Amino acid sequence: MSRGEHAGRDFQGSTHPPKGGTPTLNPLTVKQLQRFRSIRRGYYSALILAVALVLSFGAELLVNSRALVVHYEGAIFFPTYGDVIPGRTFGLEYDYETNYRELKRLFAERDEGNWVLMPPVPYDALENDLSPGIYPPEPPSFARSHYLGTDSTGRDVLARLVYGFRLAFGFAAILLACNYFIGITLGCAMGFWGGAFDLLFQRLIEILNNVPFLYVIMIVASIVVQSFWTLLAVMVIFGWTQMTWYMRTSTYKEKSREYVLAARAMGASSPRMVASHILPNTISVIVTFIPFSIAGAITTLTALDYLGFGLPPPTPSWGELLQQGTNHLESPWIVTSVVVAMVLVLLMVTYVGEAIREAFDPKKFTYYE
Amino acid sequence: MTRRTNPWRSDGVSRWNAPVRTSSRERTSVTLGTMLACCAVLVSSCGTETVPAEDSTAVEAPRGVELPPIEVREGDGLPASLPADLVWETNEEDPVFASSEALRGGTFRTWMLAFPLTLRRVGPDSNGAFAGYLRYNQLGPVTYHPNTRRPIPSLATHWAYGADRRSIYYRLNPRARWSDGVPVTADDFVFAVQFMRSKHIVAPWYNNYYTDRIRDVKRYDDHTIGIQGADPKPLNEMHYSYGIGPQPRHFHVLDQDWVKRTNWEIEPNTGPYQISEVRKGKYIDLSRKADWWGDEVKYYQHRFNPDKVRVRVIRDANIAFQHFRKGELDTLGLVLPHFWHEKATGGPFDAGYIVKYWFYNDLPVPSAGMYLNSADPILADRRVRLGLAHAMDFDRVIETVLRGDYERLPTFQLGFGAYDNREIEPREFDIDKANEYFAAAGFDKRGGDGIRERDGQRLSLRVTYGNPQHTERLVVLKEEAKKAGVSLELQLLDSSASFKQMQEKKHQVAWMTWNSQGLSPRYWEHFHSENANRPQTNNLANHADPVMDEQIMAYRASADFDERVALAHRLEQMVHDAGVVIPTFQVPYTRDGAWRWVKLPEWLGTRTSGTLFNSQANSAGIFSAGGLFWIDPEEKRRTLEAKDEGRPFEPATVVNTTYQTH
Repeated sequence: MSRGEHAGRDFQGSTHPPKGGTPTLNPLTVKQLQRFRSIRRGYYSALILAVALVLSFGAELLVNSRALVVHYEGAIFFPTYGDVIPGRTFGLEYDYETNYRELKRLFAERDEGNWVLMPPVPYDALENDLSPGIYPPEPPSFARSHYLGTDSTGRDVLARLVYGFRLAFGFAAILLACNYFIGITLGCAMGFWGGAFDLLFQRLIEILNNVPFLYVIMIVASIVVQSFWTLLAVMVIFGWTQMTWYMRTSTYKEKSREYVLAARAMGASSPRMVASHILPNTISVIVTFIPFSIAGAITTLTALDYLGFGLPPPTPSWGELLQQGTNHLESPWIVTSVVVAMVLVLLMVTYVGEAIREAFDPKKFTYYE
Repeated sequence: MTRRTNPWRSDGVSRWNAPVRTSSRERTSVTLGTMLACCAVLVSSCGTETVPAEDSTAVEAPRGVELPPIEVREGDGLPASLPADLVWETNEEDPVFASSEALRGGTFRTWMLAFPLTLRRVGPDSNGAFAGYLRYNQLGPVTYHPNTRRPIPSLATHWAYGADRRSIYYRLNPRARWSDGVPVTADDFVFAVQFMRSKHIVAPWYNNYYTDRIRDVKRYDDHTIGIQGADPKPLNEMHYSYGIGPQPRHFHVLDQDWVKRTNWEIEPNTGPYQISEVRKGKYIDLSRKADWWGDEVKYYQHRFNPDKVRVRVIRDANIAFQHFRKGELDTLGLVLPHFWHEKATGGPFDAGYIVKYWFYNDLPVPSAGMYLNSADPILADRRVRLGLAHAMDFDRVIETVLRGDYERLPTFQLGFGAYDNREIEPREFDIDKANEYFAAAGFDKRGGDGIRERDGQRLSLRVTYGNPQHTERLVVLKEEAKKAGVSLELQLLDSSASFKQMQEKKHQVAWMTWNSQGLSPRYWEHFHSENANRPQTNNLANHADPVMDEQIMAYRASADFDERVALAHRLEQMVHDAGVVIPTFQVPYTRDGAWRWVKLPEWLGTRTSGTLFNSQANSAGIFSAGGLFWIDPEEKRRTLEAKDEGRPFEPATVVNTTYQTH
């Protein structure tokens, strides 16, 4: 056994700050963070992803058919968030939502001091930009602000990519939280209590693992319309099992360590032993899995959308774009955009995952005795 | 009328398993009809059996199994001996439609989306993609001329109509043979009814049809039969409704194992092709019978020319296209706009190795529409239904997504000649009219998202559909409809699940297509109150109107052509006025691509050709339009040589508007 591993465990054994002291970062955590930063590929990937994610939360301000600001006869409007503003408000002839691109053109033509400020990409993910005589899909065009072209119904590919990204990440994050919560809780309990409880859940998990997930999804999709939440529910039902195995093993291992015995000798309750002592020591297992679970969730969602068993149309999704792209290979901008986006995101997530794994690996220096 | 499942309308090749009633997307070709044939049409199928007790000429039960005699209900039944006053008719005077230049020989390579689950023609899983090849090689007593729409001989040489206007008599062609050489006789027809009524075939639809609609069948001598149906019909429609086909009596043993045993058995047939090789999961070969009895029948001459038809499984239309482009398939359906305009360009198309055909035809138009459930609290109000019709921008869909290739369907049913009500104009996209109707129905306020509300209830409607290819049409409609303040929630289900939901009447708006066939439109199943608010009926609108019921019953009961036409016009107008159906699109043509060596007659096809390259007999279920093309070996050699040398021909796109109706 390497010394490094010993050292790591000892450090990890005291993860919480001493009582009464101000909470500071545990020196081991600091060291892990430093190591993570030193792995450039992963670190920059993490930065880029974080920025992209933050930006995607404000996607309405960057990619939207609603204007950012409208100045009309002295009044200022901010249509981005909130209710639909009918065209009549701006002196147009209709009661439905204002077409701000058209409005901008009109204001510019009339030159009455009114103006419209549009986001950099003036389309949203659902809107069909169709004019008679122009057959979608349209190739990328800067003049028409379709930077990545349009899809087979004239929707902006970039807009769908951005909103699809946000949706996929949101989906992956919620899925991750649910899966890990159930997986960690049950896994720890199985490892800690062992015996009949362990046996029972092992069998249950084996049964669940043997149910063909894709068929279940197909059956569910044929009966009800998939929504974000039903899809999530099905994926949680079949997805939580993976984490239990790792947590069960780790808990088994940690349970027999001296520090747990010490805690028990001092009269700690079972939940306390698990939550305060064992769990913090298995954190590296959990953390290293996170990026891969995210990548897995994004891939699964995309695959399901591709096959048509995912989110209902017209939800913007990468899988649906990919499907359109493969059906319209003669319009290569669709498939190229989505494949490049997917490869980049999955690659970056994987780089982050690798970096975390390395940072948490206690065996940086291994001495063989 | 039936619903078809495959969007892809190539040579009958691609159909998914569908319930007896299946939904259609576009107007399809021959193939479609094929499958339908089995459903609503009985031009072909059935066989003989033990003779009914009252029949003096009892025949032995097949292979020793006793079959029940034909049960005849009170008030039904054919006369014991052939009526003396019958007027026997035939039809040898209509023009032939095949080309005498046709060459026999060669292999025609085509495709299907999935391998069939069985080679049976009836029973579980028998409604798959391959069913057409099986059904159309089982001929009926007569078939219909594809240009004149009049009956022409097939298994029968002559026919006569009974005085009760629901009985029909046939004289069979004594030359007609099953593929194993056994003569086709009257017994095979009697057996057909017993077969189709048998519980052992596990086919409730056929059980029911052959009990409720076919009331009696009788053998008068080896080559003379009589069939009695339930209701009087116009004379020329009797063949369609009651002209059942035979079943090979010497082949079937009806017992509990029938379904399992016959799964992969090759049943003797009467048509030009018979299965010669089955490679499960890969392909099925059909071989042309060298000495087919039908080669001497006037309207079958110079048809069904390739010696072999190989139907390969290709699981994706895009991949099939690549095979076609490489020359591994001889023809491919190119109806879908992005296939015709985008995929089918460049390479072998520009070099003229592949010829593109755009052929206008004149067939019953599938009733593609939005069926509004009038039992729904929102849609119960006619004003909402009319508002919705005015909020649907079909023209924009046609001009953009569909590239101007499709046309608006003006009425629920169309393509039946004189029966069509051409006076009706479809409701146009008009936001002002939509706004007026919605406001009148109480939806006069708009919520924060721009959608109309009535007492807190949003004007939001669920559109159920089963074809992923239609999503692009619906998203455009959805976005445009928002302008009128109505929100469409798109519910894409698997095609059979969506149809199930509609049959259970759980939909709000059903986006689907009834496949049309036959010689006159049908209203009872779609609009009679007896079918409203009941599951498993085709009245998807749950429409119930006593006045309309009366007219429908009059239409059904009438056997007079002029009266029926007048009633059909009135009924179509009533459907339009009630606004329970918003007809969507029609495709009044077929488009196909074919390698140069696949030759067609000068006139390309017939009035009712659903596709030009149908290797089998029928199109639209009843019209004998298939099998006109042939393969020219000399041209094939020349084309392949030119291709190898990179020497192009003139690119060729042939447009034929002979049968364009407007």
